[in-house]
Amino acid sequence: MELIKLLLIDAWFAWIPAVGFAMVFNVPKKMLVYCAIGGAFAHSFRYLLMYWGVHIEWATLAASSSMGFLGLYWSRKRLIPRPVFTVASVIPMIPGSFAFTTVIGIVELNAGGYNIALAQMVIENGLRTLFILGALSFGLALPSILIYRGRPIV
Amino acid sequence: MSLTYEAQSELTRIAVKAGQILLQHGAESRLVEQTTQRIGIALGAQSIELSVSSDAIVITSLLDGHCVTTTRRCYDRGINMHMVCEVQRICVMLEKQLLDAHQVKERLNRLVPFKYNRWLVVLMIGLSCGSFSHFFGGDLPVYITTFFASAAAMILRQELAHRQHNPFVNFALAAFLATSIASIGVIHQFGEDPKIAMAACVLLLVPGFPFINAVSDMLKGHISTGIARWVFATLLTISVSIGIVGSMAVTGVWGWII
Repeated sequence: MELIKLLLIDAWFAWIPAVGFAMVFNVPKKMLVYCAIGGAFAHSFRYLLMYWGVHIEWATLAASSSMGFLGLYWSRKRLIPRPVFTVASVIPMIPGSFAFTTVIGIVELNAGGYNIALAQMVIENGLRTLFILGALSFGLALPSILIYRGRPIV
Repeated sequence: MSLTYEAQSELTRIAVKAGQILLQHGAESRLVEQTTQRIGIALGAQSIELSVSSDAIVITSLLDGHCVTTTRRCYDRGINMHMVCEVQRICVMLEKQLLDAHQVKERLNRLVPFKYNRWLVVLMIGLSCGSFSHFFGGDLPVYITTFFASAAAMILRQELAHRQHNPFVNFALAAFLATSIASIGVIHQFGEDPKIAMAACVLLLVPGFPFINAVSDMLKGHISTGIARWVFATLLTISVSIGIVGSMAVTGVWGWII
């Protein structure tokens, strides 16, 4: 029961950025509801997996690939290219904070000279950014890599 | 059926127009390639060969041993999924023979990018960054600080983009503004951990779409386009970080360094 409540709160806070960024990308109005559902689903699914102790990279891969397949279904149904829903839906999972911490660390390494704590911050955050980002995009591309293999989806 | 040279040139122009619209509005290379080829073939070409790079497309249509080649420069016009949807819809309608070449051309020329009301976008982006502050464990005062910082940054970003400023300058200034506003919260100790607001309020500037497009281009075989997009997204990230560091140096609130 406690877990369901946590998941619902997570899903509630995840649909807002999905729709917000979908509006920055000018997704058509009728598709915003898909972005909201996708964003809430993907982020809360990743939250669930991480709650069960899965590492963030693998949880992201699972969430984004299930989002990729869900996007495939919607895209066949509505005849709309897949990135329209899928990218906005995974935006809440983008490792933006890790990416900025990495670059800020690099700037500080230059300004203040080398020190172990800063170098550790740069390397750990940088690697995490790369792997999460790779997992996200690979998961979204999975349906067209595995099933469609060069044929158009819509 | 055999087309005249003029008709072949015309179909090439229509196909390249579709490809140009897609590439300018942030579609991935695979989608640009497939849609352009489908439109060209549906209009009667035997095959369409095209080369997509990050800022131009070159297209050749083949018909009865004749080639027509044309190039279009594609300036970035911002991500607009509405345009991508419309071009895709025209492509599907053309393939089902609901449109002829003339109507396709007319429709492609008539497309106007759809934009949401800017104040609505500002409101939603403020709430979005507020949600990110919740994910980082912030409480209500932090949420409010984040909302105002990111909404102000979004207004600045829209204004600068409207005046066609360089995106790197735009992102650095927006990051500077957001971090400065959030650091007011740190100075006056709004909430349990006000430094969360500094981390959350700049997340509206993460180049998520270019990064995802970059990796999916590379995965689907368009390595050079993918690298170009990756470098662009990395430069945007760096300019945001420079803006954050600049603001932290001015205000003296070093929220990002542990």
